[in-house]
Amino acid sequence: MANITKKVSWSSRADESGATGEGTPLLNGSEQPRYSRQLSGGGSIFQIGRLSTVDLEEELTSDEDSLRGRPKEIPHNEKLLSLKYESLDYDNSENQLFLEEERRMSYIGFRCLEISRWVVCGLIGFLTGLIACFIDIVVETLAGVKYLVVKENIEKFTEVGGLSISLILWAVLNSAFVMVGAVIVAFFEPIAAGSGIPQIKCYLNGVKIPRVVRLKTLVVKVGGVICSVVGGLAVGKEGPMIHSGAVVAAGVSQGRSTSLKKDFKIFEYFRRDTEKRDFVSAGAAAGVSAAFGAPVGGVLFSLEEGASFWNQMLTWRIFFASMISTFTLNFFLSIYHNNTGDLSNPGLINFGRFESDSVAYNLYEIPLFIAMGAIGGLLGALFNVLNYWLTIFRIRYVHRPCLQVMEAMLVAAVTATVSFAMIYFSNDCQPLGPEHAEEYPLQLFCADGEYNSMATAFFNTPERSVRSLFHNQPGTYNPLTLGMFTLTYFFLACWTYGLTVSAGVFIPSLLIGAAWGRLFGILLASITSSGSIWADPGKYALIGAAAQLGGIVRMTLSLTVIMVEATGNVTYGLPIMLVLMTAKIVGDYFVEGLYDIHIKLQSVPFLHWEAPATSHWLTAREVMSSPVTCFNRIEKVGTIVDVLSNTSTNHNGFPVVVHVAPGDEPAKLCGLILRSQLIVLLKHKVFVELARSRLTQRKLQLKDFRDAYPRFPPIQSIHVSQDERECMMDLTEFMNPTPYTVPQETSLPRVFKLFRALGLRHLVVVDDQNRVVGLVTRKDLARYHLGKHGLEELHLAQT
Amino acid sequence: MSLCKTSLFLLVLGVKFSAPVSAGDANLTASDSAEEPKPAFVSSAAAVGDSPALIKPGAESYFSLNLLSAFPEDLEVSDYCNDLLHIFGQRYVAYVNCLVPAARPVKVCQSCFASYRNLVEIYTNISDQVGPGNVSCRDSLLRSDRLMLVYLLYDNLVEIWETSGCKDCVTAGLQNLTNDMLNFMAALNQSLTCFEKYQQGNHSELCKECKSPYKSLNELYSRMEKNHTLCIDIEDAMNVTRRLWSKNFNCSFPREETVPVIAVSSFMLFLPIIFYLSSFLHSEQKKRKLIHPKRAKSNTSLMNIQDKFS
Repeated sequence: MANITKKVSWSSRADESGATGEGTPLLNGSEQPRYSRQLSGGGSIFQIGRLSTVDLEEELTSDEDSLRGRPKEIPHNEKLLSLKYESLDYDNSENQLFLEEERRMSYIGFRCLEISRWVVCGLIGFLTGLIACFIDIVVETLAGVKYLVVKENIEKFTEVGGLSISLILWAVLNSAFVMVGAVIVAFFEPIAAGSGIPQIKCYLNGVKIPRVVRLKTLVVKVGGVICSVVGGLAVGKEGPMIHSGAVVAAGVSQGRSTSLKKDFKIFEYFRRDTEKRDFVSAGAAAGVSAAFGAPVGGVLFSLEEGASFWNQMLTWRIFFASMISTFTLNFFLSIYHNNTGDLSNPGLINFGRFESDSVAYNLYEIPLFIAMGAIGGLLGALFNVLNYWLTIFRIRYVHRPCLQVMEAMLVAAVTATVSFAMIYFSNDCQPLGPEHAEEYPLQLFCADGEYNSMATAFFNTPERSVRSLFHNQPGTYNPLTLGMFTLTYFFLACWTYGLTVSAGVFIPSLLIGAAWGRLFGILLASITSSGSIWADPGKYALIGAAAQLGGIVRMTLSLTVIMVEATGNVTYGLPIMLVLMTAKIVGDYFVEGLYDIHIKLQSVPFLHWEAPATSHWLTAREVMSSPVTCFNRIEKVGTIVDVLSNTSTNHNGFPVVVHVAPGDEPAKLCGLILRSQLIVLLKHKVFVELARSRLTQRKLQLKDFRDAYPRFPPIQSIHVSQDERECMMDLTEFMNPTPYTVPQETSLPRVFKLFRALGLRHLVVVDDQNRVVGLVTRKDLARYHLGKHGLEELHLAQT
Repeated sequence: MSLCKTSLFLLVLGVKFSAPVSAGDANLTASDSAEEPKPAFVSSAAAVGDSPALIKPGAESYFSLNLLSAFPEDLEVSDYCNDLLHIFGQRYVAYVNCLVPAARPVKVCQSCFASYRNLVEIYTNISDQVGPGNVSCRDSLLRSDRLMLVYLLYDNLVEIWETSGCKDCVTAGLQNLTNDMLNFMAALNQSLTCFEKYQQGNHSELCKECKSPYKSLNELYSRMEKNHTLCIDIEDAMNVTRRLWSKNFNCSFPREETVPVIAVSSFMLFLPIIFYLSSFLHSEQKKRKLIHPKRAKSNTSLMNIQDKFS
């Protein structure tokens, strides 16, 4: 009841404040969440924004407490943080076990570790290259078979009539492949959906995405990407390579597979989050490098995505992994193509060589390139906005696996239909070239000896289409064909991204960009009388591709280098850089990059480079969670089990405290212990009483913690008897004795910097007497973000 | 260290200065020779005169006007080689004379392979054979000057031959046309006579009647294409025939089933609309449960902040 009256009064206030203008934006952040929390379901972003300028001095009333009791349900939106994501433990726990192990380790031991790091990186590169090679060969073969069947069918029915049957055949074939791909993703491993780049970005950021680096994910990913590319969707196989590389890295570096229940007893030292993260960044780099034949681009990709944890030796190792990966792919592809030893054909996508005369560009073309970058930014922003709404719709309404599979199949069928219709109604016939750049030329209604030009764009794997757009002679495509192609492919690609299939967005973006870039070049040549000399359409196709890709994904440094390396031409460095810069600036004005949008929509607590601006007035006291669940240095087992079993507060880190004086509340901080450590302790029953009675008991080592990593058993699976509940547990040896702490008055940006730079998971907030008053975790920091109306706060939600 | 360097420098200077002095060439100043030591060396060698081979380039450039018709005996091209050169010229002209009229429609392989064979023969003679008195014309005719005209001329024609792909249509010793080529010609003739026969009347009749010879010709062509036994003659003939068939006689397939294709397409495009509508209407919307985190009761601090800002 009170709630309703409140709402009424607020909305009127909101209007008032709207009239008075922006008001005091700095205040909004702190005030706003409390009000929006009281809005009933359906409280949209807009209202939050409007309310955020309300200035309410009078009360933080008691009805807030009453509201806390019942959980509120709202439709999914981007302003949520999911509880299912946790942080990775990048901070090393320097407990006594760790110190002991370090003491025992000899000089040679450390040297061996260093060497095994190199070995692991080499293996990562090798296996990633192999996977890329496998995907490539299977896709080529299957797609070849599919296109041949459809082509023969079309040829047959062109003669005798009944082309609609060919259309249905094509659609059914596509749907069948995509169905397989979607089924394995939707039913077996949903995390393998999409390109995987957002997930890896989150992982390198320090968020533990469940199941993202498992072997099963890899298998589903590889199978899924093959199916979706062969199924003719508007997708590429490059993005998933990055995810695959990361999974390979996470698997190899652990020397075992928990899925296969096989432990090779090697690389045991690397079984913790810090080491694993380094290898995963190497794996991601190897993936990029295999996908684009761009080793340096791969390294820079890792740098761009995970740069807060970085050092020079690691960079060098990552570069090594990248190189090995390109080399491996090269080598095995050369065997497959029957010219063993030819290593000059790198990358899954090969942009081909740009000949010297078409490479040349002139000073006066630079403004044109920048204009193209702006167009790319605009189109990219449009793409992202459309995809954003589509994804929200999908999360809200298309969340059942069978619906997702159906959707994917429908998209595949429609893609085939649209392609067929475009080809059918196209009048653009071109003579067959002597070099046969077209793998599957379709004649249809063209004169003999000519082929349908639209078919080279649609009736082909996307990679080949990109290449033909870059390299075919001027005059191969007429402007109408390109315009229609750009338009349809834009919407198809936008519709496809976010389906429950594993597929990347790189190639479709390149393809859209190459199409309109080529169109741009052709128009330019027709406008200027002497244009044909310098306006080489292939060059503009490349620039357009860069602009479109930059406008969609908004990567900067790494993308520039990737493009330069993929074309094998440093000459284009400057234009590509300018184009990507422009595309990013223009695009960022409207909406974020595609990957960031998807990270947001997944409600991941992602920490950006910097704390939101205008947040210096927020202190640790407002940010932290409080009160904190603490343990005593010597704690009763029953208490620990009860706290761990409490499902409503699924805490992972617990400050360990000592009571100096009885009744001293809160108590003094003396360490920090993690849930995973406690679980291992409970499992091994490291109780004070037992240690006394059984003197021979083996002392717990760091190895026991590593063996349980990374899948620590849930607390429910650990049986603790009634007697044992009365025992005591001494945490002194196992806790991290020197956790990072901040005083209550620390500003949010300061806390943020500490957290981000050190990769922390828990940050204890203490008062002037080192007494625990609160705990800052990733979600506490990630919930602040700068919206259109000043600082906004995200909600925590169960997803 | 520095002393050593200086002395070295002096030594180098000394060497450079000594070269023109020993040659006795008064025209060259010391500074000229330091910058361009090469001409100085050549002229000095000429002055010494111990190697006739080295005289030639220098001597030619100096005295070409005077010695127009009187090279020394041993440098003159032998009669044998002169004869060869003469024959080469004749055959060259013959081949080019054959090529030019065969340019359109292209018949360069079938009509000129014999004269090409002759040309190759004579060139092989020049470059490989040794004539009477152990004379080889290879050096004197082919590579004694910068231009290497004979080689250049020959090379151009070889390139034409290779670009045209004639070697796929002519048997190994350039003796005859291949069987494939002859077969193709026969098939082509069949089609063309058919075209001629029905050309006058309605083209639709032509399309019907000549379809079988044309089709078999097409198939033969694709077979040859697969075996890589195509040369420019065949390609061009096929192109012309196809153009006749498709453009002049308009025998391509008409686009006549637009309606069924549109029907099927629109049905397919309609499916997703139904899908999304139904999932919007029937699928329950996914709701998220909000969780309220534990927060410090910080009314006081908030008030403080507000005081600060107001």
